[in-house]
Amino acid sequence: MKNFTYYRPTTVEQAVALLDNKWGPVELLAGGTDLHDLQKEYIAQPDKVVSLNGIRGLSGIKASGSAITIGANTKLADIAENSAVRKHLPGLAEAASQVGGPQIRNMGTLGGNLCQRNRCWYFRDEHVPCLLRGGEKCLAINGENRYHACFTDSYACVMVHPSTLAPVLIALAAKATVQGPKGKREIELSRFFQAPAKADEREHVLAANEIVLSVSIPIGSKNASYEVRHKQSYDWPLVQAAAAFDLKGGKASNVRIVLGHVAPVPLLAGDAAKALEGQPVNEETAAEAGKAAIKGAKPLSQTGYKLQLVQVAVKRAILTAAGAKKYWQV
Amino acid sequence: MATTWPKQRRLIGTDIPRIDGADKATGHAKYSYDINRPGMLHAQILRSPHAHAKIKKLDYSKAAKMPGVKAVHVIADVGTELFYAGDEIFALAADTEEHCLDALRAVEIEFEVLPFLVKEEDVYKKDLMTAPPRGKDRKNLLPGSEQTKGDVEQGFQQADAVVEAFYGVNVCTHQCLESHGLVAEWSDNDGRLTVWASTQAVYRTAQALAKEFGIPQENVTCITHHMGGGYGSKFGPDIQGIVCAHLAKKAKRPVKLMLNRADEVTCGGNRPSAFGKVKIGGKKDGTITAYTVDCYGTPGIGASRSVNLAYLPYVYEVENYSRKQDILRLNAGSARAMRAPGHPQNCFLTDSAVDDLAAKLGIDPTIIRRKNLPKSEGQGIDWDAVKNKIYNDEIDIALKLSDWKKKWHPPGKDNGKGVMKYGIGMALHTWGGGAQGNPPNECTVFIHRDGSVTARSSTQDLGTGQRTVTAIVVAEILGLEPREINVKIGESEYGYSTGSGGSTTCPSQAPAALKAATAARDALFAKIAPKLGVKKEDLEIQKGFIVAKNGKKTPWKKACSLIGMDTIKGEGGWSSVLALEEPGLSNRQVGGVQVAEVEVDTETGVVYCKHIVAVQDCGMIVNKLCCESQVAGGVIMGVNYALFEERIMDRQTGRQVNPDMEFYKLGGIQDIPRITVHMYDMPERGVIGIGEPPTISTAAAIGNAIFNAIGVRVPIAPFTPERVLAALAKKGGN
Repeated sequence: MKNFTYYRPTTVEQAVALLDNKWGPVELLAGGTDLHDLQKEYIAQPDKVVSLNGIRGLSGIKASGSAITIGANTKLADIAENSAVRKHLPGLAEAASQVGGPQIRNMGTLGGNLCQRNRCWYFRDEHVPCLLRGGEKCLAINGENRYHACFTDSYACVMVHPSTLAPVLIALAAKATVQGPKGKREIELSRFFQAPAKADEREHVLAANEIVLSVSIPIGSKNASYEVRHKQSYDWPLVQAAAAFDLKGGKASNVRIVLGHVAPVPLLAGDAAKALEGQPVNEETAAEAGKAAIKGAKPLSQTGYKLQLVQVAVKRAILTAAGAKKYWQV
Repeated sequence: MATTWPKQRRLIGTDIPRIDGADKATGHAKYSYDINRPGMLHAQILRSPHAHAKIKKLDYSKAAKMPGVKAVHVIADVGTELFYAGDEIFALAADTEEHCLDALRAVEIEFEVLPFLVKEEDVYKKDLMTAPPRGKDRKNLLPGSEQTKGDVEQGFQQADAVVEAFYGVNVCTHQCLESHGLVAEWSDNDGRLTVWASTQAVYRTAQALAKEFGIPQENVTCITHHMGGGYGSKFGPDIQGIVCAHLAKKAKRPVKLMLNRADEVTCGGNRPSAFGKVKIGGKKDGTITAYTVDCYGTPGIGASRSVNLAYLPYVYEVENYSRKQDILRLNAGSARAMRAPGHPQNCFLTDSAVDDLAAKLGIDPTIIRRKNLPKSEGQGIDWDAVKNKIYNDEIDIALKLSDWKKKWHPPGKDNGKGVMKYGIGMALHTWGGGAQGNPPNECTVFIHRDGSVTARSSTQDLGTGQRTVTAIVVAEILGLEPREINVKIGESEYGYSTGSGGSTTCPSQAPAALKAATAARDALFAKIAPKLGVKKEDLEIQKGFIVAKNGKKTPWKKACSLIGMDTIKGEGGWSSVLALEEPGLSNRQVGGVQVAEVEVDTETGVVYCKHIVAVQDCGMIVNKLCCESQVAGGVIMGVNYALFEERIMDRQTGRQVNPDMEFYKLGGIQDIPRITVHMYDMPERGVIGIGEPPTISTAAAIGNAIFNAIGVRVPIAPFTPERVLAALAKKGGN
């Protein structure tokens, strides 16, 4: 690990002032579950590390009549266990409860989950020339890519975005409040992420001197997250689907379906949403939405299997959100 | 008089908690990784990032001047050819781990990058001659020669059904929770070396270090009080141990060098792959008429076979067979022995085919298993005389414990209406596990005048419960409780012991402890009989007392106080040779039957292993609780082998992409099934090792259960959702 100077500011303004206007020299520290690992692997080599843990008011969950607001420094375990979140945002509670293991969930935070770096094994091996660390091309495209993207069109790097909270938050039409040198601004979570294509880009659109303060999530929808996982303990999903919709008179409206672990960004599945819009929710309509979800997919050499998983995950997320019988459980 | 196991056994064969269990659970037990000596330095190794390269330049002058660096050691100098990504080049020791790693990065090194092969299938496309030379030969492909018995052609002609298929298991790695390595410390004045090593071979490690440094063996002490797993990968000091001792000598300070996780996975050894075409033919009555296997596997830069060719077909007696294996030498970490080397591969290549044959014959595969079991020969307690009975009994028990008759259905039929399909499968295994060593493994028992007892041996406890085994045996003979025995093991100065490989430790050590305890008891009797006014022959031990024929009972402590100024000592030894001369104390060769129950989500391809029944014999059981725990551990390793573990090599970079515990997948709590263990006790056979056998057949049983669930074979393990979905797609829809 390269030597660094550690800062522990007590206000957001102080923290912002410590940040650099380009990525690399300074890193923000929340739970440390990603950053310290990146540092130990020499993938991140910041000169300064700015801890958010001395700033009051960055964590906590507040529920109002129309929304739940979660501070960026709130631990994933606290999100998973919060009664308001479990009641109104079961999809989010489910996703938070499935991250890593108990240690990760009790250290990792909401802000960290959204801003974490990707898990691609080429990106995390300093001995190979990954595109995101200055290499010429993405090594996963012609390499070992079984855990990579199956929606690959137009992406220079084909990792999958690791956040499992992001798809749910996008489906729920959440907004993030961020603060930079010019003050606060709001970003819809659906516009929060981007596919990086070079070394000075991150997996999100924030400037290097901006900090996520909180995420505000409207309540009232039916919502769920479903992960297809190889292992049931401590694993990344192979594919995740999040679904949110209103259910009136037995029919779904305002449908939003978002896919995780299929592309370098959480992917809004517009065709899937369209397929379900105005339909009664049952196994047939959910399956139709699942079929629609894979439109436009272009799998890599080893990710063809994910197309089947996408369809199943979408179907099961929709049925779970609607409170239907979980036909896959014996 | 020949020593025998007591006819009446108070402790042996019962459930005894480990005597060091509390120490391990509370962190009091110190592993090599936990050892921190005053002034200790930290060392790591710089390794080849390339799968095949020659060192053109190696300049460590800057690194040597980095903060905290105290000693450097060149392992491979300019001009050296490196054969895999992970090959050792250079090491240094610094005051902190961070300084050590920073300094290693300051080494200036240039490579001539050479062609490499890291995938088995690529070797057949073109042999690039990139393997480490054996003589002048650098071939990647070492073709095997065919071994045959009987008339294979005729065998297939006699068959009512013939199945031809391709099966395979990938390379998996040991993933020892405690990585390889040691702490080395030289004493200034007398040139003595002490190492705290994570090793399966305490005595041999001291021997090898003495040889490396050209010093008398009594000047080297190897200490391994507790050990975090080896599974066959930790014999001797290894290169990192030798380098660590060199650095300690140069720095004149203690040095710790334990591999980091990535190095542990890439360089610490692995179980080699085995893939192959299998053809099996059989009759409706279940008789296997012929079996052929043409397979290949990779030992990485090693050169050994990956199956145990002499045991193929596995377990079953088949009249007509042919077998062949090609060795594919890759630019990847070398294979090492891993928990029953060759046997899990053998089992997979045999028992998978048995179930496919049964399906084609339209019969329960148990019929084939029973029909082709090895036939017993002769009388007595040796394997040949009992093997048929053991297997038949164990199959009976496994069928009962798994409720097989109720649950088994023809593959893919009557397996549930929903997307989740239930399946059940079986596989069989065998393993040696006899006593090892000549000279004999030594054990010494001391009885002190305060009544305390010490049992001493240089053997090691890898987590198998050997410390407790020694305590149980000594306590049984002396009428004490296991916790009352002060067991000192894991130091090379405590006499000669063999390494813990081949499931040989318990059958080597338990009889040695028996002999030592018996000798100590007899010496105690001889010493105190005159003081008790009786003949030594008239004394015997009952729990807590020494009892004379005249009925007089003397409490243990009081009896020991009669020893006077002396200490009573008894010595015992046991070896492979003695085991032949004195049958009944230890034996060799076991069977074993496992049944797996799975649920397969046919929409996602995810396999949920729900239950494993493991029926295992190991001769005379010393500690039933520990045996069951050992079997459960083997099963867990087998579940991981079946479902999760796979070394993934990258053709572009020549590197392993998953040298970690993230994408090198290991099951967690939720992934581990209910495990029902049944120990099949045969005290008359004597002690046999149990370390390896219970991991052998789990993967094949799970593969057969999946086949039973979905009606189509998933031919390659680990059985990932991707592979299960591919098999289902091949079958044609769900």
